[in-house]
Amino acid sequence: MQRLRAVFEKTGRAKYISHLDLNRCMLRIFRRSKLPVWYTEGFNPHPYYSFALALSLGFESSCEIMDFNITDDEMSAEEIRDRLNAVMPEGMRIVSVAPQVKKITAIARAEFSFSLISESADELYRAVQELLAAPEICVEKKTKKGIKTVDIKPDMEVLDCQLNGAAVDMKMRLPAGTQTNYNPTLFFEALKNASDIRFDARNIRRLRILCENNDIFY
Amino acid sequence: MNLKEKIEKHLLKVQKPSRYIGGEVGSIIKDKSKVDVRFAFCFPDTYDIGMSHIGMKILYSLTNQRENYWCERCFAPDIDFEKIMRENDIPLYALESLDPIRDFDFIGFTMQYELSYTNVLNMLDLAGIPVFAKDRTQELTQIVVAGGPCVCNPEPLADFFDLFILGEGEEVNLELLDLYNAMKKQGAGRREFLVKAAQIEGIYVPSLYSFDYNEDGAIRSMTVTENAPQTVKKRIIRDMDKVFYPENFVVPFTEIVHDRVSVEVLRGCIRGCRFCQAGFIYRPFREKSPDTIYNETKCLCENTGYDEVSLASLSTSDHSEIDEMLTKLIDYTAEERVNLSLPSLRVDNFSESLLEKIKKVRKSGLTFAAEAGTQRLRDVINKNVSEEEIMSTCKIAFAGGYSSVKLYFMMGLPTETDEDIIGIAELAQRILDLYYATENRPKGRSPQISVSCATFVPKPFTPFQFEPQDTRAEIERKQKLLLDSVKSKKIKVSYHDPNVSLLEAVLAKGDRRLCKVIYAAWQRGCKFDSWSEHYKFDTWMEAFEDCGVDPGFYANRRFEFDEILPWDHLDYLVDKKFFIRENMTAHKSVTTPNCRQRCSGCGVNKAVGRECFCKD
Repeated sequence: MQRLRAVFEKTGRAKYISHLDLNRCMLRIFRRSKLPVWYTEGFNPHPYYSFALALSLGFESSCEIMDFNITDDEMSAEEIRDRLNAVMPEGMRIVSVAPQVKKITAIARAEFSFSLISESADELYRAVQELLAAPEICVEKKTKKGIKTVDIKPDMEVLDCQLNGAAVDMKMRLPAGTQTNYNPTLFFEALKNASDIRFDARNIRRLRILCENNDIFY
Repeated sequence: MNLKEKIEKHLLKVQKPSRYIGGEVGSIIKDKSKVDVRFAFCFPDTYDIGMSHIGMKILYSLTNQRENYWCERCFAPDIDFEKIMRENDIPLYALESLDPIRDFDFIGFTMQYELSYTNVLNMLDLAGIPVFAKDRTQELTQIVVAGGPCVCNPEPLADFFDLFILGEGEEVNLELLDLYNAMKKQGAGRREFLVKAAQIEGIYVPSLYSFDYNEDGAIRSMTVTENAPQTVKKRIIRDMDKVFYPENFVVPFTEIVHDRVSVEVLRGCIRGCRFCQAGFIYRPFREKSPDTIYNETKCLCENTGYDEVSLASLSTSDHSEIDEMLTKLIDYTAEERVNLSLPSLRVDNFSESLLEKIKKVRKSGLTFAAEAGTQRLRDVINKNVSEEEIMSTCKIAFAGGYSSVKLYFMMGLPTETDEDIIGIAELAQRILDLYYATENRPKGRSPQISVSCATFVPKPFTPFQFEPQDTRAEIERKQKLLLDSVKSKKIKVSYHDPNVSLLEAVLAKGDRRLCKVIYAAWQRGCKFDSWSEHYKFDTWMEAFEDCGVDPGFYANRRFEFDEILPWDHLDYLVDKKFFIRENMTAHKSVTTPNCRQRCSGCGVNKAVGRECFCKD
């Protein structure tokens, strides 16, 4: 049995597929592909696959991770990739299939890009700069134990921040994985709390998933 | 900003956005510059419901097989998205191209239930298409059409539609599109097209027919113009093994009501339950062969990736080759790890080996549509299920590990007395007693008998089409009587809102004078009437009052046998004389055997020109 890891894109209209719906969608993709995928052996056998990280509804991604098993040891990664791609919905595409090397727990952070669109983008840009310069960026975060206030600043690494016409384009790294997960929406919340300037966050995209030493995870 | 960008700007503010953006596997995209006729197939309810509709799947694939025709899907937006659409000038659009449906050649609705009528008006309005047919352009475009079971009496909708398609659409839809395509090329106008379309069998153009009424409110006469036929005959498909069936379904991302492959196994019904419209309007009885059913199942499962399949019909047990069909299907589904969900089957005449196989797949609950509480009333409605059958099946089921049973009944049936209502509670009690008397019943589990009680709605093209519906006060009294008659906490009773059933009866049996009522109700905010949280009974009653229309005239009045019924000019191949005969037989509490046992002379064999149970 081959233990495999697929990296796939979820872009365009596919960003409206929720995480729950993605599960169902992937099951049907496997069935359409007729690949010899390994089934669980319980009372209700189903193809085994699991996603490393959930992606918020409306986010695009270039780097979604799915682990699954193929019972045929001879089948090439390319064939598996192509057969999956042949039956994928619009906006979803397998970039690569390779043996699982690192453990899922090795995931430490994820890189995001997004645009903040505003009628007063200049002012918004200044507000962003001010927020980034503040000693702490506190925001309320929902956790399993309820709502708590966290300071996201120490764990947030801004890679890029530019004013482009009506948009402030940003790129940042945030903690991800089994321990701490920060969503860019936390930063948007903090920005809304810090300034009255109205904006819309668009084109939010997960670009890469990284390990502790910033190596690419997959 | 194009429409797609405009939609996407707001999409994340609404529930289940994947319903509004298309892109599903199996959806068909064409190059619109190479398309002659564009058809928007509209379901007047939300995506989750409409996407489950098998007729849409058939006609969608069928129309799209023709390279130069493009059929797209369109559903009613939920309340949250409708608000956004109206605030941001987003017109109703089709899911494949995301183009506004007002630019389409055909806007076709499927009318599956009466309580979706206001949604049609709302969708036309959202699309920017005039709600009344008379207000639409004189040019040949934007033809608003409807089909489906409710168009067997389309009169309450007559003012809103350009034409209705009666019966099965697989052939007539393409004939209609072909005519349109040819006439459009000749530069014909709307009226010219409608007059010509009325000559196609199965096409009813309401604007070519007019009615006047007696002083007592009943119809006096009908006038036909432009050489349109005096009676319009519904269309049927003769050979179910040759009829088109899709090789693929659009596979939704979000979970829908029937989220599985469904394969039609037969059309029509041999049972003749006297309240059941489907049992008459889909006649004659026709089956697909086990091979066809197997091939369609396999093909659809492979193409969609669904791991569940269900069989669609009015009564799958009545398939003449059920044993062979299920054996074939179960062998396939077990091998491919597909769940086969079987509807309630009569298991009495199955072979031992098939029963063993069925045991492995059946997981669903135990359900009986007993419909009435006493044998006398079951005879009146011709529901040929006996208490002995129910009891013997329950006994086997309890011994086999079942501990809950669902029972469906109707209240307000013709000739019903208090004894029949009390009979419902007594039947439930006897099933409960049987449970406790069954020695090898499941241990440590509490039994539950669920009694679900609908209100009888008289429907056109049934022997009970003449019958009045009980008044609301009477239904409420009977509901209370039933609750008082139930003595055990293990018996749970639920029933329908009689206010809803009243509107269903009015719209089912209504005539053209109801168009203005539907319009007035919609203007006052009525929509999604089939959703209890949206249903506004008081608003509907205000609309009736404003229009000077008495709902009781339609719902609670007995229609005379010699009266001109609003649907008398439509021919569903079953004789009115047969319905009258059956009605009189019902009042004598006498049953009519099913069609396989003895032909009851409904007239469909004569209309079709062949006997019901032979291949031609």
